[in-house]
Amino acid sequence: MDGTRHDGGKSVTIGSIGELNAFTSRRGFMRLMGLGGALVLLPSIVTACDDNNDGIGLGVPNSGATVTIDFAKGDTAVLQFAYALEQLEADFYTQVAANFGGSNLSAAEQAVLADIKNHEVIHRDFLKAALGSNASFSLTPTYGSLNFKDRTAVLGAARTFEDLGVAAYNGAAQYISDVNNLLVAGKIVSVEARHASAIRDLIAPKSGEFAPQAFDDAFYPGKVAASAQGFIVDKLAFANAPTSSAFVQGPNKNGV
Amino acid sequence: MTDMNTQLLDAVDPEIMSAVGARANEIAQGASASSKLVAALALGSIPIALGAISRDVYGQAPSDVLDVLQFALTLEYLEADFYQRGNAATGLIPSTDATIFTTISAHETTHVTALQSLISGKGATPGTKPAFDYTANGNLPGFGFLPTQYATFLAVAQAFEDTGVRAYKGQAGRLINDKAALTAALTIHSVEARHAAEVRRLRGNKGWITLASRDTLPAFTQGVYDGEDNVTQAGVNLSTIAASNGGASGASEAFDEPLTKQQVIDIVKAFIPALR
Repeated sequence: MDGTRHDGGKSVTIGSIGELNAFTSRRGFMRLMGLGGALVLLPSIVTACDDNNDGIGLGVPNSGATVTIDFAKGDTAVLQFAYALEQLEADFYTQVAANFGGSNLSAAEQAVLADIKNHEVIHRDFLKAALGSNASFSLTPTYGSLNFKDRTAVLGAARTFEDLGVAAYNGAAQYISDVNNLLVAGKIVSVEARHASAIRDLIAPKSGEFAPQAFDDAFYPGKVAASAQGFIVDKLAFANAPTSSAFVQGPNKNGV
Repeated sequence: MTDMNTQLLDAVDPEIMSAVGARANEIAQGASASSKLVAALALGSIPIALGAISRDVYGQAPSDVLDVLQFALTLEYLEADFYQRGNAATGLIPSTDATIFTTISAHETTHVTALQSLISGKGATPGTKPAFDYTANGNLPGFGFLPTQYATFLAVAQAFEDTGVRAYKGQAGRLINDKAALTAALTIHSVEARHAAEVRRLRGNKGWITLASRDTLPAFTQGVYDGEDNVTQAGVNLSTIAASNGGASGASEAFDEPLTKQQVIDIVKAFIPALR
């Protein structure tokens, strides 16, 4: 590994921390990076910048590095996992809303998406507040070539995010030990399911698509991360995670 | 292990022994447990440990989990029966909406079967389907799935689905030590939320609940929505966070609220005379 990133023929060589910090916004950095794929940083750089002791591998600001969620932290880890996903969702819908101008989404569809944007930003900021010092990590989402002004592309991605969110919360609940935290997760997951239903109904109105299964998915965190990773520049990693073989499956048995 | 322990083990439900073994391993690896249970396991006494662990593994007690499952079964019986009658009623559901309700009906019927299996699997007998009163104890006079009553059918469907979401949410904590039951309940819970959003949107409402609004539902359903206007979560007041994201409406929509078992009973007893 040489600090050089190859992305669709373009390459960017990261020479120093200073160059990375020179980008004034995450968005600007993502544009430079051409969007998509994983950013590879020299381990020494990552280590050098991980100067907090909260168990989170905090990468270089405005770039991306390994973000580690340590399940030894118990419920805190589950909430951090949720916080990571809500960061992704909140960012996605914020971009969607920012691209309503010139979009071929109908006014009614935009109203639904604007509501969802509000909910996801509130989820993200709530988890940040609840986690306090354990929320000191920030993921950099990436959407590849997704056209935010295209209805089909936006709704398709939204469906992916919402279904994944439902499966993530349903699957992670078994690692929660405090009933109050379980309740908070429950309060959020049903709203994610309402979102999923609405998005799916926009895509295929009055079909059975709003609820394609009698039992929703409950995914092992590693399975969620594998799906989410395609939308996150940072490397989402787990430490001390329970094994997938110990994961308690939901009735549809497709969680691992 | 003593002979007495072996004989006891042979007589115990394999599922319970599996839970005991798994729980003992967790405790050996540092999981928290009651002092009684730790002492019993340290003594190597299966009879004593069984008594302690039955409460530990299954929450307050195995009967607690069973109570949740039986309660959920009652609600699913109600929903399944309601949609079966709706789908069977000539001229009630417009053909444009038929797929929605055959989908929901199939799910509720599957939920009934799954809960019956879970209950049977724990060595208990699933409760039987109660009788239902779809006039809601007189609140919906004359309602009988007639062709002119689709609006009422939709209103009741919304009330049932939004109640179902809140009911499962309120019971999840009692399942926290029975991961299989918890995961089953949660994967039903979120499907009920999908149903709720679909029916709400079909009625021209948002898919999510704003403040404590029952929208255009009749007043007797207000208990379905009371408390949904909560904007403080886990001690975090969302007013500032939500200020530029929908305000109190957005904050209330972003979180669904639980109902206690008694609150659910107070809602559904209009439809279930046995609970009155």
